[in-house]
Amino acid sequence: MPCRTAAQIAAALMLCIAAACSRQDAAAANVVDGVNRHPVHLVRPRVAPLSPVAQLGRALFFDRSLSASGQSSCASCHVPNRAYAATSDSAMLTGGRAAPSLRYVDRTPRFHIGPDVGVSDESDSVIVPATSAVVATPHGGLFWDGRAGTLQNQAMGPLFNPAEMANATDDALAARLRQRYGAPFAALFGAETVAPADRFVAEVTFAIARYQLEDSSFHPYDSKYDAYLEGRATLTTSEARGLAVFDDSTKGNCAACHLDRPTADGRPPVLTDYEYEAVGVPRNPALAANRDAQHFDLGLCGPLRTDLASHEPYCGMFRTPSLRNVALRSSFFHNGAFRTLDEAVAFYVFRDTRPEQVYPRSASGAIAQFNDLPASDRRNVDVTTAPFGRKRGDEPPMTPREMQDVVAFLKTLTDGYRN
Amino acid sequence: MLSTTRIPRTASLLGLAMVTAAFTGAGLHSSARSKPTPVLRAPATPIQHLVVIFGENISFDHYFGTYPKALNPQGEPTFTAAAGTPKVDGLTTALLTHNPTRANTLNGRNASNPFRIARSQAATSSQSHNYTLEQLAYNHGRADLFPKYTGNAMTGGIGAFGAPAIVMGYFDGNTTTALWNYAQHFAMSDNSYSDQYGPSTPGALNLIAGQTNGITIVKQLDSTFYVHDGQGGFTLTNDAAPAGDVCSDSSAGESTYEITSSGKNIGDLLNSADVSWGWFEGGFDLTRPNSTGGKGCFRTTTSPLSAYSQADYIPHHEPFQYYASTANPRHLRPSSVAGIGSSHDGANHQYDLHDFFDAVSAGNFPTVSYLKASAFQDGHSGYSDPLDEQTFIVQVMNFLEQRPEWSSTAVVIMYDDSDGWYDHRVATPTNGSFDARADQLDKLGACGVKGRTPQLDGPAGRGPVNGRCGPGTRQPFLVVSPWSKVNYVDHTLITQSSVLRFIEDNWLGGQRLGGGSFDATSGSINGLFDFAAGGHVPALFLDDTLGTRVSTPSSRLPQ
Repeated sequence: MPCRTAAQIAAALMLCIAAACSRQDAAAANVVDGVNRHPVHLVRPRVAPLSPVAQLGRALFFDRSLSASGQSSCASCHVPNRAYAATSDSAMLTGGRAAPSLRYVDRTPRFHIGPDVGVSDESDSVIVPATSAVVATPHGGLFWDGRAGTLQNQAMGPLFNPAEMANATDDALAARLRQRYGAPFAALFGAETVAPADRFVAEVTFAIARYQLEDSSFHPYDSKYDAYLEGRATLTTSEARGLAVFDDSTKGNCAACHLDRPTADGRPPVLTDYEYEAVGVPRNPALAANRDAQHFDLGLCGPLRTDLASHEPYCGMFRTPSLRNVALRSSFFHNGAFRTLDEAVAFYVFRDTRPEQVYPRSASGAIAQFNDLPASDRRNVDVTTAPFGRKRGDEPPMTPREMQDVVAFLKTLTDGYRN
Repeated sequence: MLSTTRIPRTASLLGLAMVTAAFTGAGLHSSARSKPTPVLRAPATPIQHLVVIFGENISFDHYFGTYPKALNPQGEPTFTAAAGTPKVDGLTTALLTHNPTRANTLNGRNASNPFRIARSQAATSSQSHNYTLEQLAYNHGRADLFPKYTGNAMTGGIGAFGAPAIVMGYFDGNTTTALWNYAQHFAMSDNSYSDQYGPSTPGALNLIAGQTNGITIVKQLDSTFYVHDGQGGFTLTNDAAPAGDVCSDSSAGESTYEITSSGKNIGDLLNSADVSWGWFEGGFDLTRPNSTGGKGCFRTTTSPLSAYSQADYIPHHEPFQYYASTANPRHLRPSSVAGIGSSHDGANHQYDLHDFFDAVSAGNFPTVSYLKASAFQDGHSGYSDPLDEQTFIVQVMNFLEQRPEWSSTAVVIMYDDSDGWYDHRVATPTNGSFDARADQLDKLGACGVKGRTPQLDGPAGRGPVNGRCGPGTRQPFLVVSPWSKVNYVDHTLITQSSVLRFIEDNWLGGQRLGGGSFDATSGSINGLFDFAAGGHVPALFLDDTLGTRVSTPSSRLPQ
């Protein structure tokens, strides 16, 4: 589903914030010399000393005894100097999907479908709006399929995934952790929270979540692009051209989903709209599960997520990731089908215009387009929103130089910029 | 409607001019329909202004179970009780360590003693607060099946804390610091209940009408939110939105259930007596955008604590919107600040929160004011939390305590329901209900004993109605006033409609709503006051983040 279909315009207008809507004007004004003539003040999260529970969370985050093998900690796959994503040599695909960066997850909205203005106070089971001409867009949630509602629940995933930290039971995990952490948790939360294994595991995962929420290393907003937005840095000519292509709705159109302007209340952009989209990336033969030709990872439809399995229009959709620190990644898209940023950008440019460069050929010689989806779900792939929507043999939406420029711009999204 | 030409005593000259202007036309017509001019009574007590802060979804034990003893761990604001602090009926050592919930195997792996939730965990998942499930949790008076029946309902924002059996969790004065401090310096009840079991809307209707029977069903997805009352009508037992409110329609995400209410509410009586009043709710002003650019029914605020984004205005929390006589379905704005509280300003007594601060600041302090926070600050777990709620309460209190009218003001801090959070106290039903499916407190089909437990009528007066099993769950209840008792805990059994009764006794000569309203039988809150003591209880200013005492309060106000 395109991030902004015509049918969504009414809803979008309501939420459309002045800054985001004038994105292209701003970009056009800056394309010449990379100087931001409309600097803004970005409102960053307050920095405060870690609370006692977050300090425990920090110790846990780096503690290998969280895994049954004693070999891996959270930081093994969420490497601090890689923006808490995987390095090429860490076990990035052990869970079957590329480990997402843990940076900037603190602003993730709850998972919902359609407008999000309120809740039933009785249940948070997902409400799928009644059938209409337009399939309502899913939004928010953690993991590539939004199946975790809280950071605490997200932490439970790798802890108990047999392919990751592989804890068999709460009891096994709690027994290992009580010796080092039992006393400090009892002091903070009371003894009653340490003795029952499931409660203790809840406290432990909450502590990890608090560390992520409180520690500024998870949301520094100190990239060159942030400095540019605040008028403290000048983009190079290539970076500035790349930003223009990124914003241009006839070329990259990247900013349609990877929102790149500050919010109306001045918070830095997260470079995602948190919406779901099927883009039809090629199958990754390196994944163990893909040895079974009948195995398909359908994102919202499962198999990891279970509550939307019967909602066919959502099959193949994954959450749009933040592009912050994308240049630090060593695997791209949910299945890690690409290993470099250049390849990832090329996918968008050539998927429709030069598909033979993107997909393998089947035994019959046909191009195996959208080959990581079963045939019946391929209609869910977005084939209309730029840069998609061109025909095979058409002129690609970006020139080789524009592709280089976009990559140059994407590198300004890497945190830790100093000028 | 314009039923009288009387101008509120506090109206300024400017306001007077505007109100008069608004009268030419329809106003003069309706005033000509000669309704007897009401007699303004002097209040029966020294209280000339009542402010009800109506929070969301807290059981007494959830906030005050271990009062006045807090754990005081490192990194949280400390709380130390004053000498001579009275005991509350809270969580005893036996209840904390050998709770019947822990022993009841029907709770499965969530059988648990109560446990402390830390300040850092203030944003939690929410519980279930359904009329029948709450009765089942009380399990024939044993109060031991909360994990089984009212455990987790919604997860909350991504920073929210969830745990097995979290329904047994409680906060102490390191988190609910402000409320514990108000209890130390003013008066509190440990025996205050919802008039009946169930969630927000029944609680809100009981606050203003003492009645949930006599509803008209306008829209329903299914029939889970009401019962057939046994007299040919319906009683609301769960949430439904007010039909006609422009924010109730499903495009605003609120409602597949809509109703209207019949009978009278306190607003009708106050209007007849020309007493100024208003319901002030965050987000009601649909013309006013917030800092994130949201507006109208879609105006939302994201709690920095839980990262949960919630619409500010929740229609099913606004009780006056259910009654034709007191509704402002299109959220019309008052014609002037000076007119706020009167029947002449076009808003029909329904306002935004900021209208309260605007009016009081302008010297127009309504006699009776109900305050409902923007949702993220209303205390409802899942989308709000005790710390955001504390900010709201403290900012309101600091503001009011600096007003010249404070010397004759009382603030009641109370709740619409318990959220389903664990509470060990069970009230013996004083109003029975015998719906074959919905009532299960004493046995299937019974709340109380048929023929023995009294059962009130509905507004139609056709006889006793089902669906009003109560008292329901126990909630915190505080009175903050220069006229309250000091560091005092009252044990008189009171309910939400006790506030209704106080208003009737103080300003309406003891007039009652009738029509089967709970106001006929509800207990008195006068035990929390000492009207003979001169009204000298000093103000208490608190920090709006920590809830701890400060000498000079900030001037921040909730939006």
